[in-house]
Amino acid sequence: MAAETSYLTGARADLEQSELAEEHLMLDPRPREEMNQMVMEAMTTTTPVYWAWVGGLALIVAVCLFGVWGYMTATGIGITGIRRPVFWGVFIVTFVFWIGISHAGTFVSAILRVFKAEFRRPFTRAAELMTTFGLAGGAMYPLIHLGRVWTFYYMVPYPNARWLWPNMRSPLVWDFLAITTYLLSSTIYLYLPLIPDLAMARDRTTGLRHRIYRLLALGWRGTEAEWHRLRKAINIFAFAIIPVMFSVHTIVSWDFAVGVVAGWHSTIFGPYFIIGAILSGVAAVVTILFVLRSTMRNFKYFIRPEHFDALGKLLLVFSMAWAYFFFNEYLLSWYGGEEAVQRILTLHATGPSAWVWYLMLICNVAIPWLTLWNRRIRRNPLAMFFITLAINVGMYAERYTIIPLTLGHQRMPFDWGIYNPSIFEISIAIGTMAMFCLLYLLASRAIPLIPVWEVQEGQMAHSLKKVGKAHVPSVTELE
Amino acid sequence: MAQVTEQPRKWGMVIDLDLCTGCNACVTACAMENNIHYTGEDEVAYGRGLYWMRIQRYWHGEYPNVGPEFTPMLCQQCGEAPCEPVCPTYASVHSNEEQINLQVYNRCIGTRYCANNCPYHARVFNFFDYEIPAPMNAYLNPDVTVRSRGVMEKCTFCVHRLVHARIDADTQGDPSLENEVTTACAQACPTNAIMFGDLTDENSPIRTLFERSERGFQIMEELGTFPSITYLKGGGVYGGRD
Amino acid sequence: MITEPIHLALFEEDQINEAAEAISILRSQGVPDRNISVISGVPLSEHILGRPMSWSRVGLIGLVGAVAGFLAALAITYLPVLIYPLNVGRMPVFPIPTTLVVVFELTMLGLLISTLLGVFVETITPSYGPHGYDPRIAHGKIGILFTCPPEVDCESYDQLVALGAELTHNLQERKLWP
Repeated sequence: MAAETSYLTGARADLEQSELAEEHLMLDPRPREEMNQMVMEAMTTTTPVYWAWVGGLALIVAVCLFGVWGYMTATGIGITGIRRPVFWGVFIVTFVFWIGISHAGTFVSAILRVFKAEFRRPFTRAAELMTTFGLAGGAMYPLIHLGRVWTFYYMVPYPNARWLWPNMRSPLVWDFLAITTYLLSSTIYLYLPLIPDLAMARDRTTGLRHRIYRLLALGWRGTEAEWHRLRKAINIFAFAIIPVMFSVHTIVSWDFAVGVVAGWHSTIFGPYFIIGAILSGVAAVVTILFVLRSTMRNFKYFIRPEHFDALGKLLLVFSMAWAYFFFNEYLLSWYGGEEAVQRILTLHATGPSAWVWYLMLICNVAIPWLTLWNRRIRRNPLAMFFITLAINVGMYAERYTIIPLTLGHQRMPFDWGIYNPSIFEISIAIGTMAMFCLLYLLASRAIPLIPVWEVQEGQMAHSLKKVGKAHVPSVTELE
Repeated sequence: MAQVTEQPRKWGMVIDLDLCTGCNACVTACAMENNIHYTGEDEVAYGRGLYWMRIQRYWHGEYPNVGPEFTPMLCQQCGEAPCEPVCPTYASVHSNEEQINLQVYNRCIGTRYCANNCPYHARVFNFFDYEIPAPMNAYLNPDVTVRSRGVMEKCTFCVHRLVHARIDADTQGDPSLENEVTTACAQACPTNAIMFGDLTDENSPIRTLFERSERGFQIMEELGTFPSITYLKGGGVYGGRD
Repeated sequence: MITEPIHLALFEEDQINEAAEAISILRSQGVPDRNISVISGVPLSEHILGRPMSWSRVGLIGLVGAVAGFLAALAITYLPVLIYPLNVGRMPVFPIPTTLVVVFELTMLGLLISTLLGVFVETITPSYGPHGYDPRIAHGKIGILFTCPPEVDCESYDQLVALGAELTHNLQERKLWP
């Protein structure tokens, strides 16, 4: 009898363990050699479909982005739909959108690293890459939307013969500095944890690739001193890049909030924009993870439903936080009683473009709240793909509501105007989207997208601990 | 750089809405004086007219007793201008000599932030390179820059006239010459609804009107922009004597 | 410059305990710590291997960069205004709140860029310890590189082999960068 019981518990324990291993990447360790091979294989495998996408996206970038931008530079910004009084349109909306997307990488990679959230390990790099490319797309817009783009360097502070100096009191100069800082630091933050993986790739490639990896890996051998130094640098970055991230989107919100424009001049814009940015960024991480998981070889091992589950919970929390800030902003402006602001708020909900406002609320609040509480939906990558796409549509609508729809109905009704985006603006917005996808596609075959050493480190730290009759995952603090 | 030693002036304007007939003579005069481009019917209809000055027309009363109200609207040359600090390149700065708000076309890179931030919508943007049709190019005022594509522009209080007057006064040694200066819109106004003058000059005819008129109000005073234009209106929504 | 032959003891990725043991064996045989270096595919802290703490000046270099960024921010905000004050919106000439934004951004920029520079400079600076590399490190193996002083009896390496090490003698130094 006793032997039978122990046999049964043994079988149950095995079953429990295999279930846990299937569930958690960290409890399903594979030899480093094998993981290296999987990542290298994913990186070097290209299919005709891949090249078709690369070619198509490159064409879209060339025509819709650079072609139209060139045409606009040659003819004038008038080919867009902007007019008095709506002087900012789709360009600035898309700018804010991309800067928002770029918050994901830092959030996932830095904040989750600081708080030692273990589920971050396999996709920190995918998220950091999003930050860098999202910023690259976003940082183009301050140039694209300029009336005279050929004089953009007037904004750069350097001593010159023109006796010109940027006005450090202008939020646009802060923007310029903040985005430069964030772009450089997030690129470095992408690069530092990449060094050991570049060394891995260096040892496994030949020819041109080998030479490039060799140069980038800085002669990495993996000595104690190198690891110590790298870890110290990553730590400095993880802590320092968080305030930089907060400052970037706050400054973007100040572009609006420091103005006297009715509906913009709100003290809550800073945190409201940050929450919105993290919401859209984390949503975009999920979207990207779905695409990576279903297109790249071997990624189903690294990216699992548990990751969608964890990110889904985060999304639900941020969606609620966003709704809280939105309500706060709305209610207090409404109580503020300024006639122009009340009129704008009414027009958002009832005016000719009210559908944008409702789209925002449906996508940012209704859809996440109705779906993400459910574990089964959170664990379904395809469902998460559509939900997160909807969230990003909603966040775009939010920025659209805040910028052109607010500018159009200011204090003097005689000068009200409705803005209609032109085909050229929309094509440039699509062009940067294509550029983001293209850069990501190229990067996915150029650098190891999974931080293999971090995954292995995590797997080393995880073990099953027997508590009573159950086996529970436990984490050892190796750092 | 000209160093002017005399005390700075503060130029101001008084617009009597009770006298304004909405004839648009000021708008036309302004366009001729300042080499304002003609953007064409469609563009103006879409809201891209380059008028530095416009007549806002509101209707008041219940049908059938409806009447128009005209408000000439131009750059208010704010003392604390919202457009100035937001410009990244100092293209929008305050002039200490005339106490007006300058727009430096050469510095402007076209972010259009100032235009968004102007509560009076006084700023207009050169969306394209506009052609000046054949006979009109001979009418260009040599004192005023012709603006190129991609820069912001707005009412300057006819700053070229102010500078001319100051130079005349300096060279001829007669300060009163400077007091005779007026803007194109004020000059063209058939009912004398627009009056221009120096607010620091005790004897200026507009000073009393600007500061003490019971009909006087400033548009969007509550924003704290300290405009240099006072509007006069009896019995209006802004108070004052009927 | 170390001219003595370099030896490498390779351990499997899960043989951390054995690797730590091997280091103490080497030490007991008279190989000083500075003649040993450990290379691994995952970070193994010095406590785990019982090695002296390695140090890094990355933090200090970052701090210097932050100070430089701070001063640069003050310079680009205040110096031009001092030389040529321009009145915008009747703002003060030295507005503190707006300066704080610029100072924050440039301080962070200085800190983060100089951290990278610190990593770079420390990486290309010649380091102590035996140089040598084996590509199998990237496969997760743990390697112990050591040079053996002439007085040490090299036959005693059998102890390492007994622990499961794979020994390579007279490793060629490979140039990995640039």
